[in-house]
Amino acid sequence: MNIIKSNGKRQAEHFERKKLHTSIVAVCLSVSTPDGQAETTAHTVCDAVVAWLQTHPEVTSHDIRTIAAKHLKIYNPEAAYLYEQHHITI
Amino acid sequence: MDIPVSLAIIALAALVHASFQLSVSVLTLLSAHTLGSKRSHAKLLRLSISFIFGTGLMTMLLLSFISLLLISLFGNETPQIVWAAVCGLLVGVAISIWLFYYQREEGTMIWIPRYFAKYLTKRTESTNLSAEAFGLGLSSVIGELLFIVAPLTISALVLIQLPTLWQIVGIIIYTKISLISLFTVWASISSGHKISRIQQWREKNKYFLQFTAGAGLIVLALFVYVNEILVSTVGQL
Repeated sequence: MNIIKSNGKRQAEHFERKKLHTSIVAVCLSVSTPDGQAETTAHTVCDAVVAWLQTHPEVTSHDIRTIAAKHLKIYNPEAAYLYEQHHITI
Repeated sequence: MDIPVSLAIIALAALVHASFQLSVSVLTLLSAHTLGSKRSHAKLLRLSISFIFGTGLMTMLLLSFISLLLISLFGNETPQIVWAAVCGLLVGVAISIWLFYYQREEGTMIWIPRYFAKYLTKRTESTNLSAEAFGLGLSSVIGELLFIVAPLTISALVLIQLPTLWQIVGIIIYTKISLISLFTVWASISSGHKISRIQQWREKNKYFLQFTAGAGLIVLALFVYVNEILVSTVGQL
């Protein structure tokens, strides 16, 4: 599974579930979600993203963020909002 | 210009400075990363206070530097042409703020070079120590120099007309007021408000803040123009 970096300048890289999981856990903790709930949410969102990736062999990192945010919104809307805002805050 | 009027101009300029959002964005992001990395609340408070201290120090240094520059160029008697030029600068920056300050996208991205925004985001993500947060505070003020130069210059011009002791008072007043927005965010986060709510408020009200910043500069320019140029010109007739 190749992830093409959004700006196209860096090399494509393999999808790392752990990286996505860590970022989802971090954003959940940022909005004061309890540790256990953050882990469960991250696990569920990662499963949904991996399932989506089965039908899309080559995607951009932006696509991954969009799909992750879409699923995260179901379980934790505030965390999803902050996740979407990360690259558009500064 | 008497002392109360001078201090009022400095206070208004500092309020306009406080409405600029780069440092607030960096502080919001820094808080989100600190909480997301499972660091303690005490650590979050230490990092954010160091950040605010860095911002305040750089603001104070910039204001002092511009004042020193102006005093060495013009002494205590600033020529009217300089007052008029600075009023022009205020109006120009106000129009730029109305037109460009926020990028026309979702979020709170402001009109600064993208490489600098990326640099600040990366530095925010890797900030662990208070010293790093302090440095981040210094850098975030530099990042917004294009906009803060207007309130800083008019304040410096007013400051150099004051007696020495009042110059120091003026610098302290400016620095404290310019940090109001940062202290508000800091107090909100410290008292347990969610960062997502703070960011939502900022996004929802960004155009209002943009408008007030520009309007504040226009009011400042008109007041100074009338007070320093029109009054003395009419007085000579």
